[in-house]
Amino acid sequence: MKRIFAIALICSLLCTTRIYSQVGSHFAMQYDISFGIGDLGDYISAASFRGATFQYRYAVNSNILIGIDAAWNVFYEKKDYDSYTMDTRTLSGVQCRHQNQVPILAAVDYLFKPGSTLQPYIGFGLGTMYSERYTEMGIWALENNPWQFVIKPELGVMYRFNARNAAKLSLRYYSGFGGDLDTQSYLSVSIGFVL
Amino acid sequence: MKKNLIYLIGIVFLMASCYPGEIESYQELDLVFTNYDQAYNFVSKGTYAMPDKIVKITGDLAEGEMPEFVKEPYNTQILTIIEQNMTALGWTKVDDPKNADLALMPASWTNTTIVYWYDYWCWYYYYYCGWGWYYPYTTSYTTGTLVMTLVSNSADYTEPHTVWTAAINGLMSGAYNTSRVTNAINQAFKQSEYLSTK
Repeated sequence: MKRIFAIALICSLLCTTRIYSQVGSHFAMQYDISFGIGDLGDYISAASFRGATFQYRYAVNSNILIGIDAAWNVFYEKKDYDSYTMDTRTLSGVQCRHQNQVPILAAVDYLFKPGSTLQPYIGFGLGTMYSERYTEMGIWALENNPWQFVIKPELGVMYRFNARNAAKLSLRYYSGFGGDLDTQSYLSVSIGFVL
Repeated sequence: MKKNLIYLIGIVFLMASCYPGEIESYQELDLVFTNYDQAYNFVSKGTYAMPDKIVKITGDLAEGEMPEFVKEPYNTQILTIIEQNMTALGWTKVDDPKNADLALMPASWTNTTIVYWYDYWCWYYYYYCGWGWYYPYTTSYTTGTLVMTLVSNSADYTEPHTVWTAAINGLMSGAYNTSRVTNAINQAFKQSEYLSTK
């Protein structure tokens, strides 16, 4: 609840600055479907249908946009009753696995056709990612919440309705490393609006 | 424009908020833990002794009073399931622990936890409200644990030495559930195939 309130507050502040109304610069909100890869994919194989990305972009020139990204992706999987063995110890039960990923990045996008209705682009981001891994078994839980460095290549396309508004479809790959967890990677397919 | 933006933020957070398919029954909270001494050779043994009562571990017991025991018929039901599993693994029960390779000691306890949200103290000083303004609430839950330990006799160790431990833990529903207890005990032996003397 506190996290939702904090993020909503930040977004509200961004909205009131009205920077998004400038030509070329924009504010974008997207709904994410994400898929864990590597360690995250092993931990939770189910796709995440709970995610959102907020982006602000400032147009340096007609081709290059710089800005910030903030996203929140919620992964969850309920594992069937199973046994987990470590050396001589075995624990059996139903496991509920949760993982929240909150990447915050500085980003740059390159537009291939800035004047056209359909604007394909590539992007790159660099920043930090908060991972919240929470494993519940019985009434017990294990939690690991590291901050990691994160890089994010992005590929997408914007379909302009008019000078200010557009639909945005993108594919992003997040890879977080460092901290108390192995590299946490996931792929997000996002669809949303540019305002 | 601003109104649309607020609606969009709301929709996005609704989609990102709750979890599907959380725990749906008491059984899903049952846990079975086992551990054993890798150096102990179970195959070379074959007899065990077990008391006919299951001790209820309480605070009073720690103060030197006589122990309480699990009531009938649950006591006999649990001991029967344990004996069936031990027999299936090739163990023979003997009456006198002096003549047994191992002693199997079952014990149980319950633990009640009371939880209250710290906003309960919001009236006292606003700082304790945190960021949220929730209705105050308290809740409690009781868990039950059954522990089985296999302890070696004096032929192998000068002092009692635990060679196998099994702990079964679950949230108590208020009524004794035979199938939950049976399944958990069976699981404890199922995941301890190394106990087999065969």
